[in-house]
Amino acid sequence: MIWTYSLILICLIGAFAYYRQLSKGLAVTNMGDYVSWGIYISNFVFFVAISLVGSLITAIFRLSNMKWATPLTRIAEIIAVSAIVFASLIIIIDMGRPDRMLNLFLHGRIQSPIMWDVIVISTYFVISLLLLYLPLLPDLKIMIKFKERSSNILNKLYLFQGSFWRGTAEQFKISERAITILCITIIPVAFSIHTVTSWLFATTYRPGWDSTNFGAYFISGAFLVGAGGVVVAMFVFRKFYKLEKYITEMHFEKMGRIVVMLSLLYLYFNINEYLVPAFKMKSGEEAHLKGLFSGEFALIFWFAILIGMIIPILILVFKKGRKPLPMFIAGIMIVIGAWFKRYLIVTPTLLHPFLPMQDAPAEFHHYFPSWEEWAIAMGTLAGTLLVITFFARIYPIIPIQESITEQDETCMSLPPTKRHE
Amino acid sequence: MKKLKLNKYIFLLLPFLFIALTNRVSAQEKEEAVELVKLNYFTVNNGVQYLILENSLKKGRNTEPLKNKVFQLYLNSNTPENLIGKVSTDKNGRAKSFIPPSLKAAWAESSNPTFIAVAVGKEDEIAAELAISKSKIQLDTLTTDGIRSISVKVMQLTDSVWVPAADVEMKVGIQRLGGILSAGDEETYTTDSSGTTSMEFTKDSLPGDQKGNFVLVAKVQENDLYGNMIVEKIVPWGIAVKTDTNFFDQRTLWTTRFRTPIWLLIMAYSIFIGVWGTIIYLITQIVKIKKLGVAVPKEEG
Amino acid sequence: MENNTSRRDFLVNGLLATAAATATGCGNNPFAPEETVALSGEKVKLLSVDGEIIEIDKAFLKPVPHMPPLTNSEERKGIEGKKFVMVIDLARCKNLKKCQEACNHAHSLNPGQNWIKVLSMQEAEESAPFWQPTTCMHCDEPPCVKVCPVDATFKRQDGLVLIDSDRCIGCRFCMAACPYSTRVFNWEEPILEEAVAAQPYSCETSMPQKIGTVSKCDFCPDMARMGELPHCVTSCPNGVFMFGDMNEDSVTNGAETFRFSELIKDKAGYRLMEDLGTKPSVYYLPPVSRNFPYESGLENLSPADKQSH
Repeated sequence: MIWTYSLILICLIGAFAYYRQLSKGLAVTNMGDYVSWGIYISNFVFFVAISLVGSLITAIFRLSNMKWATPLTRIAEIIAVSAIVFASLIIIIDMGRPDRMLNLFLHGRIQSPIMWDVIVISTYFVISLLLLYLPLLPDLKIMIKFKERSSNILNKLYLFQGSFWRGTAEQFKISERAITILCITIIPVAFSIHTVTSWLFATTYRPGWDSTNFGAYFISGAFLVGAGGVVVAMFVFRKFYKLEKYITEMHFEKMGRIVVMLSLLYLYFNINEYLVPAFKMKSGEEAHLKGLFSGEFALIFWFAILIGMIIPILILVFKKGRKPLPMFIAGIMIVIGAWFKRYLIVTPTLLHPFLPMQDAPAEFHHYFPSWEEWAIAMGTLAGTLLVITFFARIYPIIPIQESITEQDETCMSLPPTKRHE
Repeated sequence: MKKLKLNKYIFLLLPFLFIALTNRVSAQEKEEAVELVKLNYFTVNNGVQYLILENSLKKGRNTEPLKNKVFQLYLNSNTPENLIGKVSTDKNGRAKSFIPPSLKAAWAESSNPTFIAVAVGKEDEIAAELAISKSKIQLDTLTTDGIRSISVKVMQLTDSVWVPAADVEMKVGIQRLGGILSAGDEETYTTDSSGTTSMEFTKDSLPGDQKGNFVLVAKVQENDLYGNMIVEKIVPWGIAVKTDTNFFDQRTLWTTRFRTPIWLLIMAYSIFIGVWGTIIYLITQIVKIKKLGVAVPKEEG
Repeated sequence: MENNTSRRDFLVNGLLATAAATATGCGNNPFAPEETVALSGEKVKLLSVDGEIIEIDKAFLKPVPHMPPLTNSEERKGIEGKKFVMVIDLARCKNLKKCQEACNHAHSLNPGQNWIKVLSMQEAEESAPFWQPTTCMHCDEPPCVKVCPVDATFKRQDGLVLIDSDRCIGCRFCMAACPYSTRVFNWEEPILEEAVAAQPYSCETSMPQKIGTVSKCDFCPDMARMGELPHCVTSCPNGVFMFGDMNEDSVTNGAETFRFSELIKDKAGYRLMEDLGTKPSVYYLPPVSRNFPYESGLENLSPADKQSH
């Protein structure tokens, strides 16, 4: 309860801050003509990154027959859907004239990377919703069956959404096929949402953004932060809803290994991204790189690298580190490190333009977000968590039908003496 | 004795009074704004003539145009029958006036007409005055043995006789956007004692219009005697330039949505149709599931 | 009101028409050959220099002849047959910032918004510092136009890149994409006079500015249509800015007019950040044989820049 209420409070403060922004304009932020993109955009990138996890866990694991991950699929999907919704919201919040949003559809230019982003994000949202809905159908039947456990309103909702699901073999066949098709389709779409988002930066000339590495760099980072987010959610739901039987230590063990691999992959891309330009030290990039390594951004940079990648790797490399509690801590570190990493992608580059920053107000020479920006950014983060929370309250967070099927199948595949549970 | 003392005090006060007064005067000079009214006379191709009145306020180093100020303009004398017209300044502080046909007789009277401007509301004061000598300017071109040359002649009307006007500085060249590109090698040319100046046209291969024509211009600016004169002539000495719209009509990444590169259109639409086609197919599958569920009779558990 | 014949051909008609006007529609002002005026068809009699009575169209009587307002698609297409170019002579710049004052005043910009920035530049450690006025480059391959999602910034056939503040959604992608950092954003409500704020927005005057949209130097196309030069060009006392038409092969600062191709060749004109491939329309003449020492410009630095200098 405290959890929900505090999230709602943060959302309300964010909404008030947005009201101030609507009435006074973007001047309430501390963005200026040089730092024209601030934490709204870094938040946007962060959300898009997290929402990739849906495709990772649900689609890739499913397709590669990693059945142990089935209990995690719904957690992953709801994180994905919630994150992508708030990604779209924060982009609208960042717009100077949200009243003209229709222009995107009336006058849209397909040559613009922003149009590509709009298209792929809407596509991904629809696919993720479908991937959330289809596996939910058998569970809705179970919820309807045990209607005494839920309130009237919820029962009406379940009936509305899934009363037609009988569980016949034919329905299952269609559903399974549909889910498989979805899984196949969502992978390229998921890759494209984060690649296209990375192209918002990579299609410009600026030092730090003018990199051919950006697509792969962003995607590997997205998988990492998504996996980290799932680990955190796993731990919380397991503890809160007492799901130890379904989210077992084995799940943590396996996810831990995956997170280590993803962290190493992301670290690899980071080395490419920073070491190679640093070797050359082109004059345009010199100020930017020095600012990151040893200058005004050094603290945040090394914090993000250490907390976001190195320490989690060190924790998770050891078997003892892959127990629920250490993994939870590692997961939180990964998510926080990732948030600061996204900030480092957006702001430092903007503070090192090609031409010197002159003939502009002094406030434009540096950037620290205003309280309104913090409130709105935290508000969207709180909103994401709120959606996930509400979803978990309404729907079973573990796919019931699928888990039962999984366990039966696993049981059946074992020799009779080992079958139990 | 008292009177002497008083005088002594006044005498002592005097220097201070003097300083104070002069300070006030110079301070006033710094703050005092000076209103400027200027009349300029223009002729075009020895035909149309007009006056431009400029009204501005000079404060220190800044000059501000004064708008909506009304003036009355007169020819030769400040009398109602010699009224040229009533004008009011625009937002740039300028007003333009032509000479009406009614002053035909007054105009023919003298070779040195005077223009007078009087501000409405301050009729006893002459705001500005301009005396000019009637003049005409002639522009001739000559091509001998492939060498092109230009000669300009300025004449002044003195006692009803046209005499050459010497030492008139002018620009001779090709009319371009915002300025005149000198036809020869010098920036300006000045008439000699015979009132002529001539130069060789050295700007070869200069782009003209679609037919290769451009406008040759001789322009006298702010001459003390003659005001401003301009004479123009179309000459076919330029290179024909065809307007190239290819640059603008191309399909590129920086044009409007209607001129998207084909490769981008193909890529974007094929991906879009592929993915959304799949989504629509999946939605039909859901509908199919729904239909199946409704068709099968309701079972328990 | 479009002509069928080219502008210059019409000029012939304009010149000959001082005595008797024949054409209706638009005519070139015989007093200012670059101006296009909507003829009213009404004739007025006046006295000519040699005492004769002649007729001209009434439209020419007003100090600034009335022009019909342009439609949005005309503004997006641009002036036909022109390719605007600017040449900035770095040898003459003294950081007087008169260009900035005139531009900011003419476009009613908020304090802190400068479409022209006079930058203190130094190429290499051993080379001498100089003052570089930087406007929008009106690139021929503009990165800002490439990334605009709603076609709010567009490239015209006369080479100008303009902004439609009625369409801009304020995403600021163009600001991120521009390598010359020339664009400014209206973070708050622009401070405008009532008369200015009441007008409908014109892409050619870039006025009135609107909150939440981007703005930048526009090369003053409204002045070019009247045959006049941009405000920065006319306000510079040192003749630093030269503006013209590449199709006419000439640029002028009002007092001096040069053949553009000769000027660039003689003085080794160059463009900024040529290697990025943006193909800018602004050429710079190197600061050789300077008219003023660099230090003479230091006194005019803005307070913020004085601190960091």
